[in-house]
Amino acid sequence: MIRIACAAAAALTLSAPSALAQDGGHAATLTFETGASTGRVLVALYDSEAAWRAERPAARVAIEATAPVVAVFRDLPAGDYAVKAFHDVDGDGEMDVNPFGVPVEPYAFSNNAVGNMGPASWERARFAVAGDVAQTIRIR
Amino acid sequence: MQASRRAFLTGAAALSAAVLTPETVRAMAAMQAAADWSLATADLEADAPRRAMRLVHGRAPAGFEGTLFRNGPGKFRRPGGSATHWFDGDGLMRAFRVRDGAATLEARFADTPKRRLETELDAVVTPGFGTPGDARARVGSNDDANAANTAVMAAGDAVWALWEGGSPLAMDGGDLSTRGFVALRDDLKGMPFQAHPRFDPDGAIWNIGLWGDRMVVWRLNPDRSLHTAEVVGLPRASYMHDFTATARHLVIVLQPWVFERRTLPFAAQFGWKPELGTQVLVLDKTDLSRTRLFELPAFSYFHLGDAWEDADGTIRFDVAAGRDVAFAVEGARVLVEGRGSVPGEPQQLSLVTLHADGRADMISSGVTGEFPKSDPRRAGVRRRYTSHVAGETGGRPLPSGLAVHDWETGRSSGFDFGEAMIVEEPVWVPRPGRSGEAEAWLVAPSINLARGVTELHVFDVGDVASGPLCSWRADFALPAGFHGAWAG
Repeated sequence: MIRIACAAAAALTLSAPSALAQDGGHAATLTFETGASTGRVLVALYDSEAAWRAERPAARVAIEATAPVVAVFRDLPAGDYAVKAFHDVDGDGEMDVNPFGVPVEPYAFSNNAVGNMGPASWERARFAVAGDVAQTIRIR
Repeated sequence: MQASRRAFLTGAAALSAAVLTPETVRAMAAMQAAADWSLATADLEADAPRRAMRLVHGRAPAGFEGTLFRNGPGKFRRPGGSATHWFDGDGLMRAFRVRDGAATLEARFADTPKRRLETELDAVVTPGFGTPGDARARVGSNDDANAANTAVMAAGDAVWALWEGGSPLAMDGGDLSTRGFVALRDDLKGMPFQAHPRFDPDGAIWNIGLWGDRMVVWRLNPDRSLHTAEVVGLPRASYMHDFTATARHLVIVLQPWVFERRTLPFAAQFGWKPELGTQVLVLDKTDLSRTRLFELPAFSYFHLGDAWEDADGTIRFDVAAGRDVAFAVEGARVLVEGRGSVPGEPQQLSLVTLHADGRADMISSGVTGEFPKSDPRRAGVRRRYTSHVAGETGGRPLPSGLAVHDWETGRSSGFDFGEAMIVEEPVWVPRPGRSGEAEAWLVAPSINLARGVTELHVFDVGDVASGPLCSWRADFALPAGFHGAWAG
């Protein structure tokens, strides 16, 4: 089972539907640089391109945005992963959009990837887990 | 995140309806080698620090003090790929500062996400108005494609670099350094704010931002804070670069260049359908749901003059009207190539009248002209004069002179520098303490092609034909800008 830890530790959710327990799995530590300290940063971890496209996260977590904002996904089998995150600054549980449907709350992808006229691609956002890994994601 | 992602995708798809814009002037030259006019679309490789300009003619009129800020594309070409359309170069803010009869010139690039990425890659990769972009682009939101290259609005100690598909970009009025995108309210972040805001005499500011067959109508307080923003439906998804206003009404001119398909670059989404004619939507400023729709024969345009209203409700405004969109699509591409014959016919300065009984008509002045401007003290109210660039002969793209048209007498008074000059948009500067419509100066830069330098000229609105009252000359050339604003 993938385990999730939040350094900020306040709101921890866990949902790793089908991942098998894997002794000696690896940890991915994601530190988020936010522009505001209100609300929560919602993070979804994906373990394949198909899951990325189909919006089937292997795990999700919501972290209070009072610094530091760190998500740790533990017991990950070796492989490629990618993360989508958005900062729910006003804490209403939704990604707010402007009247034309464009997000007005910060969002980000692993590798600080940016899309091309849309969300970042799996190709741009994926990172390899083969041992413990860490990265800092700017979400502001 | 499912719902959120869907919302994001919707926004991103609509994003392609959000990329950039324009200016016009025209052409029909046939030149085989790099044309002399190619200085107009040359690249500036780095910011140009403030330098003195030399007074080469006349002297500055007493009371003429302030800064002409101008924006326009300043770099098109990079080794790994280039902008292929005039409207897609990196925004370059210019400041012509006049004080105690002396003038200086400086220019600084808008520090946008687009320019940062393309500098890093040494390639232009971002889709634009006429530049397709490529797979290396990083466009997570419309402001990632914002070139901040079209126009400028003074805002306290800052200036806002305007583009039409995204947010204003605030730059410091003193050193032109970039401060960042302006969000007029948190929930309106990224909403398009077009390049041609209109000013009420009391200082209130109106603007629009297009999104397919909808637009946001912005109303700002004189201090540039938000008054209201309201989304309004449009009768057609037409491309437009400008709108106009009377004291009581907003006037939205829907040319028959209409959305056909989602694609890139932005301009390729639109089809020219003259059989549809041009529609004019009039909205009551106090209640945007109160509208009237007028029909006119088809014409194309980028720029409108300030509108005004007669006592019986008749609305009049000028337009630099064209026959088709050949310049917008092809001409502005060839301009960046810097050689050859530039497609597109010159616009004609024309006057549209929207009668109280629902009829509409348009008459041509018979004069070739672009960038119609008028007395800012009379914005939205009755006036007679319109200034514009002039002198396009078909032998060379871009204007070589300027003129003032008198709609009361039908007379046009102009000055032409000759083929060795490219004249940029003249901006009105009211004479301090005076109120007569002709009691103003026109200030316009030019590129002196013979000398390869940028110049700045001041004209008397009431006597343009006598030529500049004074001219300053820089010792370097900047590429041609699009639009300016005077800060006294």
